Amino acid sequence: MKIRRFVLTASAALIAAAAAFTTYALLTVGDGRETNAPQPAAAGAPASITDSLVRGEYLARAADCIACHTVSGQKPFSGGVAFTMPFGTIYSSNITADKETGIGAWSDDDFVRALHAGVGKNGEPLYPAFPYTSYTALSREDILAIKAYLFSVPVVHAPAKANELSFPFNQRWGLSYWNALFLSKQRFQSAQAKSAAWNRGAYLATALGHCNECHTPRNILYALKHGRELAGEILQGWKAYNITSDKIYGIGSWTDQQLSDYLGNGHATGRGTASGPMGEVVENSLQYLTQEDIAALVTYLRDVKPQQGEPGNELNDRPPRALASTADTPGAGEMAQADLGLQLFEGACAGCHLWNGQGRQNEAAALLGTQAVSDSEAYNLTQVILQGSQLQTAHGEGFMPSFGRAYSDAEVAALGNFVLAHFGGKQGKLTAEDIAKRRAP
Amino acid sequence: MIQLSINGKVHSYDDVDPSMPLLWFLRDIANLTGAKYGCGMALCGACTVHLDGQAVRSCVMPVAAAVGKKVTTVEGVVDDDVGHAVQAAWQKLDVVQCGYCQPGQIMSATALLHTNKNPSDAAIDAAMAGNVCRCGTYMRIRAAIHEAANTLSARGRS
Repeated sequence: MKIRRFVLTASAALIAAAAAFTTYALLTVGDGRETNAPQPAAAGAPASITDSLVRGEYLARAADCIACHTVSGQKPFSGGVAFTMPFGTIYSSNITADKETGIGAWSDDDFVRALHAGVGKNGEPLYPAFPYTSYTALSREDILAIKAYLFSVPVVHAPAKANELSFPFNQRWGLSYWNALFLSKQRFQSAQAKSAAWNRGAYLATALGHCNECHTPRNILYALKHGRELAGEILQGWKAYNITSDKIYGIGSWTDQQLSDYLGNGHATGRGTASGPMGEVVENSLQYLTQEDIAALVTYLRDVKPQQGEPGNELNDRPPRALASTADTPGAGEMAQADLGLQLFEGACAGCHLWNGQGRQNEAAALLGTQAVSDSEAYNLTQVILQGSQLQTAHGEGFMPSFGRAYSDAEVAALGNFVLAHFGGKQGKLTAEDIAKRRAP
Repeated sequence: MIQLSINGKVHSYDDVDPSMPLLWFLRDIANLTGAKYGCGMALCGACTVHLDGQAVRSCVMPVAAAVGKKVTTVEGVVDDDVGHAVQAAWQKLDVVQCGYCQPGQIMSATALLHTNKNPSDAAIDAAMAGNVCRCGTYMRIRAAIHEAANTLSARGRS
């Protein structure tokens, strides 16, 4: 009997495996090799840029390839950046033209297939940390311009780091099912009813800039939640804010000038400074876009369907405690409390940020009206305190030192709660345990 | 060409990188060596000067940002009533020990007394926290600010 049961189980397993493999094979067939597929009407680089390598560079910047494929301080595009996910860690690959460890041996079709279908040179499904769900909308022409540019940068020999994923996430074939569910291999389609600027902005924001990959909430299967586009998400300890046109939770109340300043320069008067991953996006990508393209992005973002946020995170631009302060001193009532957060702010922060949150001599240090002090969970505030912030653009360098090693978890929590209360008018609930979890591993 | 108004006098110089820190300009070009280089990151306050009366850290301020504004350094603050009272109090109470941070302390104290004529101890601590003193003269700094505030209010009454 035992033997019979074993044979039955084994047969069932075999049949299941065969079915899985067949589906897998069926799913994989038809990826890429799409030379004749309809092409999007939009072109990612401005028509004024005619040199093909310069176009490729512009597109690679707009797609922000460098951010995920370069470890800080290492050679550009040599890969190795760690992405910590709930189910393990994956490392980005070397996308220089090294034949052995990079993409030097990839044909045009191989490269197009990777971006359109999320499939590697040898047919292996790629992990969707690589945003092919967005890049799939790119035109073949734009993709090949990016490839030509990547093949023009210095070649680096950098073997890939092995991913550290737990079962079943280390089984790449499973991704074919994921793709069948969540990857719609649609090239960008212009919306006839919308303006040229809107369509350009849409192509830049979705296909190239892949804003959704960070700013759209994900479901339990790590796929973007449809109907919740750009409503905000937490990743790697940072909050990618709600950037829909909602006036309370999104960017609906920002002026066009504030939006274009923030995107192009990383800072908007009265709205704060891009830090962390968004600071990198500005540094690596957005600051290189033309004025017209930034304006097109603004046009598109203005039109994104408003999405509600979590109550409690509304912007308070009249926080009573900050308004009761001068540049030099907090209000008398606040000073009378011997609050640890206040003492820490006094010792290390007030010198630059000032008690009224205007920022000393430097707008980048202004805190009033920022999303960082309006987020009741203080994700980005905590990260900036722990890691500091720096932003290098054509407008100069903004810099804040990190305090992660100077302060204990309890101190960072107290400081964060003080800043939320003082500058955001929020009752902060940070605890030492929260901070311990948010420290970089 | 960069043209700056420093302590009421106009200084013009060619070949100045507009992104150069104001402190470099003050010390190396205008020969005003009162403001000191401490940390170079706006963390210690030794380089504090006034820009239109507001205390700023000149080590991280690009010289271009000071164009069109009034720069006042510790050499010039004596012409200001409050600044004069602060310097007199500093001398009377012998605040200075090694002295390196003191030009910055004096500039921050002057800026404070311009906005708060009678600061409490807590207000002084809050306002002066960005100016670090390794000799630990904080108690004398606090006393000297009270002293200057008293002098100024007595003068206001008479």
